[in-house]
Amino acid sequence: MEQEMFDQRTDLSQLSAAVAQIRETLGNIIVGQKDTIDLLIAGLLADGHILLEGVPGVAKTLSAKLMAKCISASFSRIQFTPDLMPSDVLGTAVFSPKTAEFQFRQGPIFGNIVLVDEINRAPAKTQSALFEAMEERQITVDGHTYKLEEPFMVLATQNPIEQEGTYRLPEAQLDRFLFKIEVKYPSLEEEIEILSKQHQHKPEEQLQELHAVLSVEQIKTLRATIKALVVEPKLLAFVAQITHETRHNKSLYLGASPRASLAMVNGAKALAAMGGRDFVTPDDIVRVAVPVLAHRVMLSPEKEMEGLTPADIITQIIKKIEVPR
Amino acid sequence: MPKTTILLFKKNINMRLRLVFVLLLGVLLSAYGHALQTPVKPAPDKVAKTIKIDSSRVEQRQIDRQAVDAYSKQKEFVYEETAPQNASWWQRLIAWLWDLIGRIFRGGNAGDGALLKYFFVFLKYFLIAVLVVGVAYGVLKLLGLDLRVLAKKPKSIEVPYEESLENIHEIDFDEQLDKAVQDGNYRLAVRLLYLKTLKRLSDRDMINWQPDKTNQTYVLELQNENHRKEFAELTYRFEYVWYGEFFIDKQHFEPIAQSFQQFNQQNR
Repeated sequence: MEQEMFDQRTDLSQLSAAVAQIRETLGNIIVGQKDTIDLLIAGLLADGHILLEGVPGVAKTLSAKLMAKCISASFSRIQFTPDLMPSDVLGTAVFSPKTAEFQFRQGPIFGNIVLVDEINRAPAKTQSALFEAMEERQITVDGHTYKLEEPFMVLATQNPIEQEGTYRLPEAQLDRFLFKIEVKYPSLEEEIEILSKQHQHKPEEQLQELHAVLSVEQIKTLRATIKALVVEPKLLAFVAQITHETRHNKSLYLGASPRASLAMVNGAKALAAMGGRDFVTPDDIVRVAVPVLAHRVMLSPEKEMEGLTPADIITQIIKKIEVPR
Repeated sequence: MPKTTILLFKKNINMRLRLVFVLLLGVLLSAYGHALQTPVKPAPDKVAKTIKIDSSRVEQRQIDRQAVDAYSKQKEFVYEETAPQNASWWQRLIAWLWDLIGRIFRGGNAGDGALLKYFFVFLKYFLIAVLVVGVAYGVLKLLGLDLRVLAKKPKSIEVPYEESLENIHEIDFDEQLDKAVQDGNYRLAVRLLYLKTLKRLSDRDMINWQPDKTNQTYVLELQNENHRKEFAELTYRFEYVWYGEFFIDKQHFEPIAQSFQQFNQQNR
């Protein structure tokens, strides 16, 4: 009877099936990285953009390509280089001798899933071309505004800023990413599994055999379902308290924005739905707090010199706030 | 640490090191200039050769005692101050104060000017100490070091801790549960049942109660597999009712309350 009482409200069966299928598809090629895969799916369901950060060779680009492959939507890729221009991303007006008029030729940003590889290798000028697209889902060129097709998701990869030839992304751009997922090195067991699986077949070969799991329409339906999930008012206060604390913490030079609070709620809702619930729990919020906040805050120089990371501070902040119960 | 930050830090350090160098150079040049101005004493043998001996006759003059006595009787030459006869307390206070100030600022042998002498000695060392501390502070600041690091433990993060308004160890669960059930507030009743269960587990050291811990953390803290499974079920029910805002009536509440009671009885 209790089970019946709890299961009647929202139908999450389609979502659960899709999530299980994506997990399986990605898990077949990517060894380990379960958190990365879950956050990638959560980002897709929460209508957010994702930044994957990690040292070279930890399957960042492969994860992004696999994710894109799971969706039957238009996919484009932009390799960010130091000489890339905003027009290379957005598109440019080309003179047509036939009509004697300038015609806008769309850039690679016009896609449902846009993979921006090595995003931090382009200077700030090029990065700023993405601002409007990422937030407003449109671009403006020569006074004309062009709407981007839904769903629109930017999957960006980058090497840590310490690596040679990289720029720090502008804060305004970092704030537009729902999650920053840090892709770590695999464990010893996972590395052995990678070797045994891939020493004969390159993952790129396996990629060709994959079939899409979700259609554009299905994604839109799932996103609408997630938007309708229940978030208890005390949990909203919990999220606001965490964000608020980042703005007053002495260890942080720059705190998180209200957009970060919204991102935490949306991310937590996606994780709740993936867990088969139509409501958010504090565990969901705690789980998304670091991926949502760590790239949006800036450490004070003293704490940076002490070797602390934004994730350390976020974890400490959460530990000092009472979980609503 | 991000590359740009490292570069900025290095740049700042270089600039600050340059400033420190300029500061030290200034101090050294000033000391050198002072040394140049100080007259150099000639060697003793050279001194002997250059001294001219005065061989003229010296006439000893005698003090005119009568003239001295005459001067000493004049009012202008009497320096000893005596308190006026029949002076009021105010006049005596003013006289004492003038005397004190006079003793402080009057030079001469130890005794009268001793206080002033000690004051100047103290002032000298105080100014030296202030100078040393000031220079050290300036150098550390120029190097960009956080002086609070010296006073604080590293990695400590100050976050104002908000004490729980509802400490589970201070709630009278039975009374509040009865009231919630009587009021028909079954959602609150489930919450109280869950908090009561957490308290019982905490009292038996099966979990470590902390306000910042989530329900799943407590589930994982239970060592016994059966307990963990049963508590996970109770957590599931609580979360659906409390966070999920599921409507719950008496009919649905009773089996939930029963499962909580069973679990608590098992862990008596």
